[in-house]
Amino acid sequence: MSETFRQTVPESLGAVPFNIPKPKTETLSNRLKIVYLEDKRHPIVSLRLAFRSGDINDPRSRIGLNSAMASMLNEGISEYNSREFAEEIERLGAQLSVGAGLDNTIVKASALAAYLPEILNLLAGLVLTPTFPEEELELYKQNTIEGLKFQRSQPDFLADEQVARIIYGDHPYSINSPSPDDIGKLTRDDLIKCHSAAFLPNNSTLIVVGDFDTDQVHKEIERHFGKWKTGEVESPALGDIPIRRKRTLTVVDRPGSTQANIVLSNISIERNHPDYFPVLVMNQILGAGASSRLFMNLREEKGYTYGAYSRFYSKRLAGSFEASSEVRTAVTNDALKEFFLELNRIRDELADERELVDAQNYLAGVFPIRAETQAGLTGLIVSQLLYDLPEDYLDTYRDNVRAVTLEEVRRVANQYIHPEILSIVIVGDADEVVLQASEFAEEIEVFDTDGHPKDVNKMPDGDGGEPEDFSGTWKLTVDSQGQEIPVTLTLTQDGDRVSGNLDSMLGEGTIRDGRVRGKILSAVAITEFQGQEMELGIKGSVEAEKFVGTISTAMIPAPLEFSGSRS
Amino acid sequence: MFTFMLRVRPVRHLIFFFIKKHMTETLNLNELLLEEFVLENGLRVVLNPDQAIPVVSIAVYYDVGSRNEREGRTGFAHLFEHMMFQGSENVGKAGHFQHIMKAGGTMNGTTSSERTNYYETLPADQLPLGLWLESDRMRSLAVTQENLDNQREAVKEEKRLRYDNQPYGQIFDLLGTMVYKNFANAHSTIGSMDHLDDATVEDVREFFRVYYAPNNAVLVLSGAFDRETARQLVEKYFATIPAQTKPNAIDVSEPDEVAERYREYEDKLAPLPAFLLGWKIPPRRTPDHNALYLAGKLLYDGDSSRLYQKLVKGEESVTQLFGFTDERRGPSGIIIGAIPKSDEDLEQIRKVIVEEIKEMAEDGPTEEEMVKLRNQLINGEARSRQSSLSRAQGIAEYTLYDGNPELINTEINEFLKITSDQIRNAVNKYLNTENRALLDIIPGQEK
Repeated sequence: MSETFRQTVPESLGAVPFNIPKPKTETLSNRLKIVYLEDKRHPIVSLRLAFRSGDINDPRSRIGLNSAMASMLNEGISEYNSREFAEEIERLGAQLSVGAGLDNTIVKASALAAYLPEILNLLAGLVLTPTFPEEELELYKQNTIEGLKFQRSQPDFLADEQVARIIYGDHPYSINSPSPDDIGKLTRDDLIKCHSAAFLPNNSTLIVVGDFDTDQVHKEIERHFGKWKTGEVESPALGDIPIRRKRTLTVVDRPGSTQANIVLSNISIERNHPDYFPVLVMNQILGAGASSRLFMNLREEKGYTYGAYSRFYSKRLAGSFEASSEVRTAVTNDALKEFFLELNRIRDELADERELVDAQNYLAGVFPIRAETQAGLTGLIVSQLLYDLPEDYLDTYRDNVRAVTLEEVRRVANQYIHPEILSIVIVGDADEVVLQASEFAEEIEVFDTDGHPKDVNKMPDGDGGEPEDFSGTWKLTVDSQGQEIPVTLTLTQDGDRVSGNLDSMLGEGTIRDGRVRGKILSAVAITEFQGQEMELGIKGSVEAEKFVGTISTAMIPAPLEFSGSRS
Repeated sequence: MFTFMLRVRPVRHLIFFFIKKHMTETLNLNELLLEEFVLENGLRVVLNPDQAIPVVSIAVYYDVGSRNEREGRTGFAHLFEHMMFQGSENVGKAGHFQHIMKAGGTMNGTTSSERTNYYETLPADQLPLGLWLESDRMRSLAVTQENLDNQREAVKEEKRLRYDNQPYGQIFDLLGTMVYKNFANAHSTIGSMDHLDDATVEDVREFFRVYYAPNNAVLVLSGAFDRETARQLVEKYFATIPAQTKPNAIDVSEPDEVAERYREYEDKLAPLPAFLLGWKIPPRRTPDHNALYLAGKLLYDGDSSRLYQKLVKGEESVTQLFGFTDERRGPSGIIIGAIPKSDEDLEQIRKVIVEEIKEMAEDGPTEEEMVKLRNQLINGEARSRQSSLSRAQGIAEYTLYDGNPELINTEINEFLKITSDQIRNAVNKYLNTENRALLDIIPGQEK
């Protein structure tokens, strides 16, 4: 029963036109801009009050202030205390929350359409009359400090912290998170000052989407926000973004990590840059998704990782290019090779026509999905407004995606990706990571998880001359919580590459990814233990004819030490 | 051919009354238009046309979850979800997501105790592509040794990333084994690596034949399409896939008692101690289950919830408080957990939780709380109808579990009519009891 129609990819039914509905814009006499979009499909409304100032407006002596101010807005307003306010919002079945970002601070609200007057009233109370109670601020500080400690156990936080510092230097974008001391310093007075400086009608836009009547709602909004006083908007103090001249390696030592979190980065474009669309399409080809080159290479072909991606983080004033992956520690060196291969390939060679069309189809195709929900629709409008994008940005988005050419893709790859001066940041077991990654960089620095520098010279030396000879049969004793386990390693060596096998009472295994750098051997042994495949990381060096080192695996918390000699 | 037509209904409105500052107002929620039919091979199909935005979502739900797994074969349902992306007769290895992305769509699959689901959202004109892909893997999945080996490895990586290498990554699975006694309910969805290693290609082929048959699945389309065209396409792609013998019904019954009341677990990655409490409650879509779901919302959902106000505010002893209903077709669960601040007395925090439950068992929710629940239910219902994918998924669940897609339009009434007394009684019977599981999580010594 061969059904031949199944052998070919079905044809499209014919593209269906899609037009983003047109919003209506009003401005109050205090210069508060209001965007209305009536959408009667569902009996609900969504609101955003977006301020064009964010964490980068924090004075250097008050890091964390804007975020604290934003978080404290719903902890008490003149009409209600924290608890009453939460009850008022949730009694309506509504949501009201505040988010602080680097460039912007956004108040979000949503409710049943019938409760639009009530939610507007609560929104106005939160924006115009917060009380910042002392005891709530104390609780915020305690909880935030607990949270800051916790995030130091997360490898991606540690990587982002270094990337921000390296890419942005003295610029406020370099500050990824406040320290516990920063939080400890904040006072109620600081919050009040921050609020009155940022929350000005001429610094904000109100977006209302959903089932309502514009004229009627406009009157209510005038009543709530008409008397809000205009003020002087302060620009953030900006510092210089460093000019990079060489490729560097920054390692955050997180002992016991089974993976290396790699982030490659350089400075790139701000959000409203004219090259935004070519960059978007180029990055789709390179690494934005699960059918992009980085994913196909590092995950699908090589199996180094669960995922590998690249992104352009475009903010209002600047942006960075970042390519990242979490790989098994043992393949850090190989993964970096593939990263550089892909970054160079998209700069040197024209992409295939097919890749370009696929990327364009994806970007243009998923765009309407975002317009299904009010949350998605308001999100699109907010970014158009906050990043000063053209009026017709949403209407022309898909045309702009489709207009990008192969030559432009290559041009922007050359312009905004710079393999020769990239920063390489890796969070992982530093001993191993430095060995594997040092050949890619001219300079190396190492930090601990608290952000304190460590002495690079105490790291095992990767280019300490000729690779030591590890070949032969080694009778080793592994110390497992006081129990001694005999293990035999049989190794053959070709230059710096080592292969062989492992034999122990726990099972047999083969040596993979073995490599010698200077005096240090690192290898992975694949073995079977109680019917289950197990990966062992082996690392060690030969000292006075003795082979000394550690064996680690995901199944045990700390590496096991071993020593032994050639038989 | 369609064997019979069940229902086609005109658009109606679901009307809700609610009290607003002493006035009664009404709210109109569009009733979802549904058309249901069954192919000769037993595939149940539901169409939900909605032309608002030119996208279409496809949901395929298979009636197989970890509840169907035998002892010695745990993790199979989830391993299978991976296998379903490895190609079929006319779709190359990993071709599924490539085809979807290149067409401008998004897709995924998930596995739970109850079912395995696959779904995609595509530009409306790409409906044939989605149906082609879903039908090809339903009829001709490539179950090869190579794919099996390869996906076993992927699942191991996933287990490392999501469970073994995360602080608190394994505690919910552990609690499941303490609450439920029946093996079908108690074992985890991610399963055991030993069992996966034991799996042969023959095992996997048999699993596919039995559970991935059209008569064991539901197909739902929601979004912008012409009904007639959609029906013809569904028939073209799915009608010739042969039916299989229906798998045997499984026993998910449970004794009233939880399986184990107390356990201590050392979590090497956890920075702080924590605990979970679990109770066994009646199956979904029973009045008591629904009442307990609402009780849970009042206890732990949102900043105005009772436990948030008592513990995060009030005593200021907890940084994270959470709870959820483990909703199943059979006996289900309620879980409440907390991560206290360093040096806090966990026993004291649990006492507060137990006392709050006792209070609700004695006095029931307040009038204010009942108003809050009502508004939250209606708001949630209205919001979930915006996205074609969430509509398709909701319809698919009701069709698969209850044989009645129409519940997407009516089930909310079952929640709205629950009274404060019903909640009080259900809390008293099922939560205000020593019959609960407590898992204490002790941080490891390693930093």
